[in-house]
Amino acid sequence: MEREMAADSQTPVEFTMEELCQPPLEAKSEVTNKLLDLQWKMGMAVSSDNCRSLKSPYVALMLKVADQSGQITNKSFEMTIPQFQHFFKQLKEMAAVIETV
Amino acid sequence: MAAEAPVDFAALQSLLKASSKDVVRQLCQESFSSSALGSKKLLDITCSSLSVTQEEADQLIRSLHRLTRLVAYRDLTAGEEILALFPENFHQNLKNLLTKIIMEHVPAWRKEAQANQISLPRLVDLDWRVDVKMASDSITRMAVPTCLLQMKIQEDASLCGDKPAISAVTMELSKETLDTMLDGLGRIRDQLSAVANK
Repeated sequence: MEREMAADSQTPVEFTMEELCQPPLEAKSEVTNKLLDLQWKMGMAVSSDNCRSLKSPYVALMLKVADQSGQITNKSFEMTIPQFQHFFKQLKEMAAVIETV
Repeated sequence: MAAEAPVDFAALQSLLKASSKDVVRQLCQESFSSSALGSKKLLDITCSSLSVTQEEADQLIRSLHRLTRLVAYRDLTAGEEILALFPENFHQNLKNLLTKIIMEHVPAWRKEAQANQISLPRLVDLDWRVDVKMASDSITRMAVPTCLLQMKIQEDASLCGDKPAISAVTMELSKETLDTMLDGLGRIRDQLSAVANK
């Protein structure tokens, strides 16, 4: 049975490995969350308790997302530079497709 | 935890009982991992392959863990730097073997240490779909392009041990929102180019 996406719940849904291999998204009629804001920063990790000297750049994003009831959740995550570039590329692809529709 | 904790070099002498260099190499690798210190399995394997007591095995693993972590912490890649860590009267051949093994593994260990250091959650997957909204309960006919974006975010691995939780957030973006998002993210890309060209 297909797992419902986080359309009507306020908290993100957790997945097991099996569920992650499920077929694509279902858009419910009172769909999904709306993106209200995106904040970003770029930083460089210079040291940690594992590695005294680092030079490891990263991009951190925070998405402010509102569900149908207006409840706002913040999702923060970070990416390495290659991961960010891949992320950006995918969004650009999306933008290119939406132009043609 | 404490990367500069003192290493009990005497405990490393148990390695002299190893039947081959590969056994030593294997032990070094296993001892680096963060789960090494609690692992009953590793303790038992060490006991039987070196024919030592549980206590000796425990002290050996502890020392190897500290030694390998220390080298990763300080990023020691040169042979002389690693040799210099050992006390003067340490068994010469064992010292050289350990140094050689450590040198081979430091880059991989640093990578592992960095992957496991504290961080914000990480984006592990991104799925998207472009739709055309044709009707809704409030509008009977329309043709509005819209995107569905789903991000799967994995919580900090160092907090959750072996099974970090993955949560998904799905959102709908209008073309305008997507363009605004790309504008903002484009600035990151410009910054990256600026930094890369310095």
